[in-house]
Amino acid sequence: MSEITKKIQEIAREILEKGEAEIVIGWEKGTFWYLSPPAFIDKPEDTQRLVWDEFCHNNLSKYLLDYKNHEGKVAIFVKGCDSRAFNRLLQDKQVDREKVVLIGIPCTGLKDQDKAKSLGPNGDIPKAQKCMECKYPTPLVYDYLIGGEEALNEVAATKEAPDFSDVKAVEEMTPDERYDFWTKQYDRCLRCYACRNVCPACSCRECIFDQTRIGWIGKANNSSENQFFALTRAMHVAGRCVECGECERACPMDIPIMLLNKKLIKDINELFGKYDAGIDPEGKLPLGHFDKNDPEEFM
Amino acid sequence: MKRVGVFICHCGSNIAAAVDCEKVAENAKSFPGVAFSTDYKYMCAEPGQDLIKKAIKEHKLDRIVVASCSPRMHEPTFRRCIESGGLNPYLLEMANIREHCSWVHPDDKERATFKATELVRMAVAKVLKNEPLDKSTIPITKRALVIGGGIAGIQAALDIANAGHIVDVVEKEPSIGGRMAQIDKTFPTLDCSACILTPKMVEVANHPNVNLITYSEIEKVEGYVGNFDVTIRKKARSVDMKACTGCGTCYQKCPSKVPSEFEMEMMDRKAIYTPFPQAIPNKPVIDRENCRYFKTGKCGVCQKVCPTNAVDFTQEDELVTERYGAIVVATGFDLFDESVYGEYGYGKYKDVITGLHFERLINASGPTMGKIKRPSDGKIPKNVVFIKCVGSRDEVKGKAYCSKTCCMYTAKHATLVREKIKDSNVYVFYMDVRTPGKGYDEFYTRTTDQFGAKYIRGRVSKIYEKGDKLIVRGEDTLLGRPVEVEADMVVLATAMVAKSDAAKLAQMIGFSYDQNHFYTEAHPKLAPVETHTAGVYLAGACQGPKDIPDSVAQASAAAVKVCGLLSKEEMPTEPIISAVDEAICAGCGMCVPVCPYKAIDMKVIQERVHGKTISRKVATVNSGLCQGCGACTVACRSAALNLKHFTNEQILAEVDALCL
Repeated sequence: MSEITKKIQEIAREILEKGEAEIVIGWEKGTFWYLSPPAFIDKPEDTQRLVWDEFCHNNLSKYLLDYKNHEGKVAIFVKGCDSRAFNRLLQDKQVDREKVVLIGIPCTGLKDQDKAKSLGPNGDIPKAQKCMECKYPTPLVYDYLIGGEEALNEVAATKEAPDFSDVKAVEEMTPDERYDFWTKQYDRCLRCYACRNVCPACSCRECIFDQTRIGWIGKANNSSENQFFALTRAMHVAGRCVECGECERACPMDIPIMLLNKKLIKDINELFGKYDAGIDPEGKLPLGHFDKNDPEEFM
Repeated sequence: MKRVGVFICHCGSNIAAAVDCEKVAENAKSFPGVAFSTDYKYMCAEPGQDLIKKAIKEHKLDRIVVASCSPRMHEPTFRRCIESGGLNPYLLEMANIREHCSWVHPDDKERATFKATELVRMAVAKVLKNEPLDKSTIPITKRALVIGGGIAGIQAALDIANAGHIVDVVEKEPSIGGRMAQIDKTFPTLDCSACILTPKMVEVANHPNVNLITYSEIEKVEGYVGNFDVTIRKKARSVDMKACTGCGTCYQKCPSKVPSEFEMEMMDRKAIYTPFPQAIPNKPVIDRENCRYFKTGKCGVCQKVCPTNAVDFTQEDELVTERYGAIVVATGFDLFDESVYGEYGYGKYKDVITGLHFERLINASGPTMGKIKRPSDGKIPKNVVFIKCVGSRDEVKGKAYCSKTCCMYTAKHATLVREKIKDSNVYVFYMDVRTPGKGYDEFYTRTTDQFGAKYIRGRVSKIYEKGDKLIVRGEDTLLGRPVEVEADMVVLATAMVAKSDAAKLAQMIGFSYDQNHFYTEAHPKLAPVETHTAGVYLAGACQGPKDIPDSVAQASAAAVKVCGLLSKEEMPTEPIISAVDEAICAGCGMCVPVCPYKAIDMKVIQERVHGKTISRKVATVNSGLCQGCGACTVACRSAALNLKHFTNEQILAEVDALCL
């Protein structure tokens, strides 16, 4: 059992025993060695199920939406990206800071679970793509921090600079090539909405793709409707995507959804100035406020 | 089954010359839902409107499309028309086949006819999706606020008060009167400014419907037309207005001398002061920054000498909030900072002054008792040079615009110098002489022909001191040679600029201003006193440089607008506003910061979920503030917000009609 897993179990037990929260959401070992799905613990004795390993991908902040009407407090573990998601949910007024206990875990990067599956437990499994480009591996907001402040320094040293080389490659395609590229990707889409369900930016009460709006939003699974879905989903998270990469991980058809999200992040950086979502819960959103001095260059 | 009637207007030959209207009407008969279609020479004329009303009855029409001019022009006409024909006015769509078609395609009748047909096709598709909408009403508070107590503010307040409405006038300075009180004579009649202003000041002060709030500033403005909640900061006067009789003993005895702002710092006032003898209210204030008591804690002479114990050092600023139905902004202007022109030596040479300094110099109650004397040594100047366009019409160092009043007041100054100093010479350096206005050009002609002012067309390049003279060096561009004038005094006609805090006030109330911070009217020709914010009107030089007649005229115009608004108990609101579907609204509040009109708030609603009552927040649209711009509808991801009359489905129907 790793040092961190031990600490996680200890703190979870303490929180439940002291009644600081009624539920602790963490990760546990799943069916396969390369999966660590979320675990919902409400008894101190169950805390021994909790683990921390290189496959704790799930962004647990998303689950807070399920406890919106829960009267008691909920404790969750957050990595850097999860904490950004938490800030985003605060900004969207979907969670109440008072009702959540955050336990931060300085994250040194997770491993790619798809590659793990094919390479086996003894293979040299690479880091997940999102972790290779992670700018914020340490939690930005927390009540407790696993490993203390020293752990933060350790993680800070492993930080790697993001680059948009994959986005640039798509930008360099001709319009026809690019259209073919995306058509091929989204023709595989099953419209299972796993990307939406796992996304911490998707916090609507009723997603427009679940509403009946005949002629406006189509539900058919075909090339044109899938593209409409893809673009709409991307625009709806624009300026709010915290780059946790959950959409792409959850996609059963391996559609490079983050590529689309990253294109929007790059565009926002270029058009509205550098912006990282979920850093400052009080800040203005680049696409979410009225500014009299907007240059309106498109008009 | 919906039954649409289509009416194609010829607009005389405006449309019919380029579009085959009969054919468009014929084509429209085959569009889905169309039960009747016809064309007519002038749809907006009475026979045209009767045609529509008759057809509604005869053909049992329930929705109408009129293809004619821009809806900006006649949408209200046709809405009224179908309403009197028995239909909801919002079951009307207009296809603009004039501005969007016949006027832009005058040479290709076949294709223009095709385009007109397509525009009608879209309008029919849209009107089939239209919903009947009802206007709601908002109550109107019958009280007006005038911000600024200069001549524009005074006039607006008087006109509103005379119509029977209550008006509050908020003035930043201790007295009303504004710039006009500083001016000596007025062009083109040369009557004394104070003589015509002070009766107005007294009238407004004594008017039973007017409430003067001087030495006060606007702190906060909330609300919307008919219901503005305005917080006013009443600055501490340190003098009890009720007890003070205005006897003036306090400022006679006050030991602290301060350069008087009213006298352009050419004279001193006291720390406890009224800005000028005819001030209204004629009760002093203490300028705490310069008062010895407030600086050192010792003195209190004014308090000791006051016979009515009116001086109160403990007074504090007071905040009052009042509700108003309408606001007139009449905050006036400042003068351009002439020190930008270093070559004119303003500030360096005492005898280089501005036009407003000159006004005080020739005023009988000014620093020289009305005798024109040089500020440096008190000598009577023989050679006086005037320089026009200092800061105006100069894109590089000043403002691009013309300040409009300088040509006339410089002619006035030139006349007055020649009148008062018989052996004087007056030189006016100018770029152009602009005298549009009743009696203005005649006045200018008298200045040159009768009073002998010498006008030199050209700019001054340098002014320097030589002995006790000022050498003014410039160019006479008509003769094409340099000129040099030995002057005793130089007067600069400085530009009128917006108040330094103009933008702040506009942002607080919520209306727009231009790059020079002058307030923007709703339409330069047809709505010159309105702002884009309903219930807020403009008067005087805060909207742009203006002389007294123009300011007064605009003030009366603004007053009429206010009276029109306040004459009603309540006003109808446009139903084309955003609506919230509370069932879908997730309460993220993204719509709040994107709304340019601050029309969206969050409210708490309660609902039952799994047998428990829970509270959650949802957006709510204020129908008085929402202008129907639609910014919120695109910010809302789950489409809980929709703009009535322009719903997603309605727009899509139009697009489908055109593209499918």
